[in-house]
Amino acid sequence: MKVRIKFTKTGILKYIGHLDLMRYFQKALRRTDIDVMYSKGFSPHMIMSFAQPLGVGVESLGEYFDLEIADTEDVSLIKDKLNVTMAEGITIEAVCVLPEKSENAMASVKAADYYIDFYDKKPDFTLLNETYLNSSELFYEKETKSGKKEINVKEFTFDFKIEESGLFIRTDASSGGNLKPGAFLEALFKKANLDLNEYKYHVMRQDLYTLNENNEFVSLGLIYA
Amino acid sequence: MQKCPIPEEIMMKIDHPERYIGNEINSVVKDKDKVDIRFAMCFPDVYEIGMSHLGIQILYDMFNKFEDTWCERVYSPWVDLHKIMKEEHISLFTLESKDPVKEMDFLGITLQYEMCYTNILQILDLSDIPLLSKDRTWDDPIVIGGGPCTYNPEPIADFFDIFYIGEGETMYRMLLDLYKESRKNGDSRKEFLHKAAKLSGMYVPQFYEPVYNDDFTLKEFKPLESDVPVKITKELVTDMDKTYYPDKPVVPFMKVTQDRVVLEIMRGCIRGCRFCQAGQIYRPVRERSAEYLKEKAVKMLKNTGHEEISLSSLSSSDYSQIEELVNFLVEDCTKKKINIALPSLRIDQFSVDVMSKVQDIRKSSLTFAPEAGSQRMRNVINKGLTEEQILNGAALAFKGGWTKVKLYFMLGLPFETEKDIEGIALLANEIAKTFYDTVPKEERVNGKVQITVSTSFFVPKPFTPFQWARMDKREDFIDKAEHTKHYIASQLNQKVIKYNWHEADVSMMEGVLARGDRRLSRVILNAYNKGCIFDAWGEYYHHDVWMQCFEEENIDPFFYTTRERAEDELFPWDFIDCGVTKAHLLREWHNAQNEKVTDNCKARCSGCGALKFDCGICVNR
Ligand code: SF4
Ligand code: SF4
Repeated sequence: MKVRIKFTKTGILKYIGHLDLMRYFQKALRRTDIDVMYSKGFSPHMIMSFAQPLGVGVESLGEYFDLEIADTEDVSLIKDKLNVTMAEGITIEAVCVLPEKSENAMASVKAADYYIDFYDKKPDFTLLNETYLNSSELFYEKETKSGKKEINVKEFTFDFKIEESGLFIRTDASSGGNLKPGAFLEALFKKANLDLNEYKYHVMRQDLYTLNENNEFVSLGLIYA
Repeated sequence: MQKCPIPEEIMMKIDHPERYIGNEINSVVKDKDKVDIRFAMCFPDVYEIGMSHLGIQILYDMFNKFEDTWCERVYSPWVDLHKIMKEEHISLFTLESKDPVKEMDFLGITLQYEMCYTNILQILDLSDIPLLSKDRTWDDPIVIGGGPCTYNPEPIADFFDIFYIGEGETMYRMLLDLYKESRKNGDSRKEFLHKAAKLSGMYVPQFYEPVYNDDFTLKEFKPLESDVPVKITKELVTDMDKTYYPDKPVVPFMKVTQDRVVLEIMRGCIRGCRFCQAGQIYRPVRERSAEYLKEKAVKMLKNTGHEEISLSSLSSSDYSQIEELVNFLVEDCTKKKINIALPSLRIDQFSVDVMSKVQDIRKSSLTFAPEAGSQRMRNVINKGLTEEQILNGAALAFKGGWTKVKLYFMLGLPFETEKDIEGIALLANEIAKTFYDTVPKEERVNGKVQITVSTSFFVPKPFTPFQWARMDKREDFIDKAEHTKHYIASQLNQKVIKYNWHEADVSMMEGVLARGDRRLSRVILNAYNKGCIFDAWGEYYHHDVWMQCFEEENIDPFFYTTRERAEDELFPWDFIDCGVTKAHLLREWHNAQNEKVTDNCKARCSGCGALKFDCGICVNR
């Protein structure tokens, strides 16, 4: 059967990259007695699929991976079995069973929420808000193999709000249009004539979303719950 | 939440910030107010190298089993962070508590290769600990060195307070107790070190003085206090089943070199290859029982979640219970989808059978280390491997489906002639021929065999029969490598033979440091001050800078390498007793000259001197 596992990645573990995180979970699963399914072949590997990789330096309260396990497993025990062997900063939040023909975590991701906390000097939030609302285009220069490319980040942003000491954004996180919060900030600050390098900030991913049949965003953890 | 002494802006700018975060599974965090002793254990190289070292894992586990001690880890910050830490005055910290290394009671540094010597200074410097032992106070940790390079600690004697000679499992408890008592009594640092110098295996350089002849050979090496030992005998574990070995090794987040469970099946080697230091200083061979190892393997795999287990020893085929152990692992591990790595197994029917079960034959390659090309030369170096054995092994492997072979040789061995160099090419060619003779055309999977010949340059090491040998010059090395290349190119099967060789400059410096004396501390210090670190990493080794340092300190580096040594010369390391006597080594040096082979410990005891430890193969024959 296939299960979806929701976890957090916070604190100093934000410096662990995606490949290391995958290896971390493979080892963690091996430390438990959970009966994980393996691919066939000479070097079998666990059948797992991670949702949109988190950038190094970004924390998250809502990460996901899907995992094939034996049908005999008691799903209600998986969370605790894993939590006793987690490093500080990674916590399993929920485990749910996926229907037979569900899309895997990676393919179903459509959007992500981020909270950006300016913990030192605060930028002029009113100015940023006005800039966002009044510009139809916010350009970010992306370096690609074939040279520089201008991207209108506004097209990939679904929501934007000022909240307390920071900004909240909901951006495209699909594999085709994934917008990184850093790219969004660069475009917005440039348009507002602010130098992003002068500000220190933390980014916290809050959750990942997919679309339901009514084209509404639903948390990846709730779609089949 | 966990601390990080390096600000976020810097962490995001450097390579692999995960090297500096600690917090790994099975790392040990204690309450610092509830321990008496804080020990920082350091491998002076980058995290992924240092974390792969078994010795530190063993000692880390041992120290942390002591209730009054908290052992933490520290590694060399990579060059990018090194520079920033110097500029921004960030003090080096331990990975567990993130507290400054300077606040620790001990800083233990393991010395695995000579080319890490400038990194010792890097660690001290970034920790704000005075580089020279004589300048330190109780505000600084006791800096203690261990590992194979302590068998000639003289080139780095000025930087260490104590060297622990031998295996760490035995004497640390006594040293820690002595330390606690000394601190309670309000002893001075010197008083403590003086007491430590009387403990078995401890060498405290400040209580000894080398006296030189006019030509800088050693005249005398004398204790400066009447109550410290004249000779320091190495420490060793006598029963390998009744000692420390971790059940829960630390599991790095980052992919490190040794990303697997490592099972040390025995210590020492029964073979006395005459160039090999490990074969002498770890004598006698001591095995762990298969029962003990099976239990450890199961526990360690369970506690780490690693997907691979590797056997570790100098020569695994000589382990008396190898078949039983390997069969157990194959059975147990394949069930759990765990790979088995079997390095240093001799190629015979058993190993070929096992490897075909646990390895992907198409991808893996077979390794032979004949070390010398001709039989005459293999007799000189006492490598008990005949051409027939190599070719039979290769034939077995080819029949089993392997097509890739790696061959390791040394150039510049004592008494080497042109014929021996040509022998390398001839042997490689014979192996290719064996492939074509054993595997019929229609069964050749990739069509052909791939043979890789690698040569390294011979570096004479202390406590080996070749400690008297002169080392080749850089030019000789390059010349010999060119000849090897030429001979390979003139073989019939040259198309399937690839040839690699190592840097000659680094080998030369390794040769200087390996048999160096205390005068070299000045040169190393000067090299560090001129920016040398990570000398073991080819691209960071600056030969010209090192040469300039020798010139400035008025020391001739060739004194240590190309000079002929008299048989009765007093060596800087002679005050250490590793068990094997100098008389035995000299006998072996003569046997080398006479191309005479000496039996291994299992076949016949050659009376090397290690019998006095009363353990291992010397008593269980
Ligand atoms: S087999 Fe020879 S080279 Fe290998 S460890 Fe033993 S003595 Fe050293
Ligand atoms: S005393 Fe004999 S058996 Fe023991 S290590 Fe030496 S040569 Fe080997």
